[in-house]
Amino acid sequence: MSQSLRPYLQCVRSTLTAALSLSNFASQASERHNVPEIEAASSPELLLNPLTVSRNENEKVLVEPSVNSVRVSIRIKQADEIENILVHKFTRFLTQRAEAFFVLRRKPVKGYDISFLITNFHTEQMLKHKLVDFIIQFMEEVDKEISEMKLFLNARARFVAESFLTPFD
Amino acid sequence: MATINYRTIDIDALDPDSAANFDLSSLAPDVVPVLTADVQTLAGQVRQLLRGGDTEGALRGALENVPYGADQQGKEVHLATVTEILQSIRQSDMSPMLQRIYQSEGGSELLDVLMKYLYKGMSSKQPSSSKNLSPQPTGFSQIQARGGGEGGGQAMSVLLSWHEKLVEIAGPGSIVRVMTDRRTV
Amino acid sequence: MASHEVHHLFHNPIADHSFSADRKTLAVARDNNVELYSRSGNSFQLQDELRGHDKTVTGVDIASQSGRIVTCSQDRNAYVWEPSPTGWKPTLVLLRLNRAATCVRWSPGETKFAVGSGARAVAICSFEAENDWWVSKHLKRPIRSTVTAVAWHPNGVLLGCGATDGHARVLSSFVKGTDERPEPSVWGERLPFGTVCGEFLNRTAGWVHGVGFSPSGDAMAFVSHDSSVTVVYPTGPEQPPKAVVSVSTQLLPFTSLVWVSESEIVAAGYDCEAYRLQGDSNGWQLTGSVEGKRRPGMPQEREESALNKFRQMDLKGKTKDDTQLPTVHQNTISTARSFQESGAHVSKFSTSGVDGRVVVWNL
Repeated sequence: MSQSLRPYLQCVRSTLTAALSLSNFASQASERHNVPEIEAASSPELLLNPLTVSRNENEKVLVEPSVNSVRVSIRIKQADEIENILVHKFTRFLTQRAEAFFVLRRKPVKGYDISFLITNFHTEQMLKHKLVDFIIQFMEEVDKEISEMKLFLNARARFVAESFLTPFD
Repeated sequence: MATINYRTIDIDALDPDSAANFDLSSLAPDVVPVLTADVQTLAGQVRQLLRGGDTEGALRGALENVPYGADQQGKEVHLATVTEILQSIRQSDMSPMLQRIYQSEGGSELLDVLMKYLYKGMSSKQPSSSKNLSPQPTGFSQIQARGGGEGGGQAMSVLLSWHEKLVEIAGPGSIVRVMTDRRTV
Repeated sequence: MASHEVHHLFHNPIADHSFSADRKTLAVARDNNVELYSRSGNSFQLQDELRGHDKTVTGVDIASQSGRIVTCSQDRNAYVWEPSPTGWKPTLVLLRLNRAATCVRWSPGETKFAVGSGARAVAICSFEAENDWWVSKHLKRPIRSTVTAVAWHPNGVLLGCGATDGHARVLSSFVKGTDERPEPSVWGERLPFGTVCGEFLNRTAGWVHGVGFSPSGDAMAFVSHDSSVTVVYPTGPEQPPKAVVSVSTQLLPFTSLVWVSESEIVAAGYDCEAYRLQGDSNGWQLTGSVEGKRRPGMPQEREESALNKFRQMDLKGKTKDDTQLPTVHQNTISTARSFQESGAHVSKFSTSGVDGRVVVWNL
């Protein structure tokens, strides 16, 4: 299939690698503060052009870089309503445990299912290429997870329907 | 009767010295306004080259005359032109062509422009093709739907393979320049 | 040839580092403190700590003749530390800045220093003997965003500064009473305080991360966030520069640069590696990495099964699993400085990075 996952992930990887060039940058809007500029958005010159990588209409990644932080938002593939529900529940589960993930944002950017906020403090503590790996791995795992859950759900539904309808047999 | 809630006024917007009022256009001083009509003429010329089989010339022509100063509509026209060229080039010709452009005079800048168009192409709204809506209202679709819903997937995969080839030649530096450059396409 | 000395000091980012004139003492900025290391044999041992700042220290510089240390931090303050019998004695500098200080450098004459800041200004600080304190004068006018880097011209009057508004500027910091009238140069003849001698913007207007004057002072280079190095050759006052050469690289952006000689620059940054550039006013080009491509002592790459390899390629878009980078620095290099000069050439330079390493390189 020409639309294999590889070029998509490769593109996300190189985009993230380029975007994760962050420095420790104190706020120039409020004194003695050091905030992620992409969230504060107090000075337009500190934000860079946002980039979108998309595989198709339903799968894309938005990378919004700034001087000391990058916001990465992922739109997970959802082909039907079941997947809609599953993705919603799954991302909700994750975002409620955001503190355990360090880079996870509690609320996704509008139009996307899940967002990450990577600051210079993360790139200082963790290896940059491993952070990129994490995002990539997340993207592939989440697809797999959703597919699995859907199969499981359908199998369950079939079983329930069968046992429900047995007495009428 | 004052109906303005003074607590919600954004005072930064009123302060000319505020950091929020940075004039971004000062970072791109040499952008000159371009008329949409001119972009269309250029598109016509480029298509001529394309029909003549000179894909490289067409690509160069389109990338050398970037309408940074055009309005939204003009930029869309040029994006369509570039996308058309990109789609008409075979996969095996991509790398050698990029290599040739990179080695020529001012080539790295042309590739930066191409990178901008790749990202722009990926971010633009594709006209939704065929099966985009949920195929079964019940939601109990089983197997087929996982692969479905790929609106505009074909066009994207062309851009993605261009992107891959381009990064091999122009490096991550080119992506960084797409992010930093205030002259958008 | 490409030998180097690695000092892995700790696992925190080093925002800035500076060696004393005899290269026996090393000052590094670590979090809110500055740590002083002294050389013993082949390594550096922690000797003293300069405590006083209450936010991240962003700049440190040791004056090569007087040995005084100046530090600045995101808490908006700068201190000058002088050795005394009871240890290092800090003197607060009246910066009058209301935003973070980002970088600091002593002037070549060591009578003053420049502090860049997020208040869209550079404070030029000089000592006032009658009051026994350091006072500052601000260079404000054309600067429109945070100043990220400052560098002194060899004459001690002109100051190069780069900012996040994408401009690299050359400003005069002539302080009456402290400075002698400078010789006229290509940058200008009459230089009262605050004169703008040059204002440069490269094509994509990326944030400037580092600036530097060539050894003669007749050219200035700056590195910016669009992965480029730009070298400016001015002609004279009020005239357009005779050449502005910009090299766009394929790499990630550089953060710092060192002039090796009039025709060679070393730049380092987000690629965790230092690169050499060579050229003159007719053109510059990237000539390669300072590090040899394959270092001895690198762990051998593990053989992987074909299945695993293809799986990695398909799933992650890469071929091998790696925790260690092939470069000496394992994270972004934040500062590069000259370490040793022989004649007009820099023969050794030092780099410090976010990975807590200070490396001295032979050229």
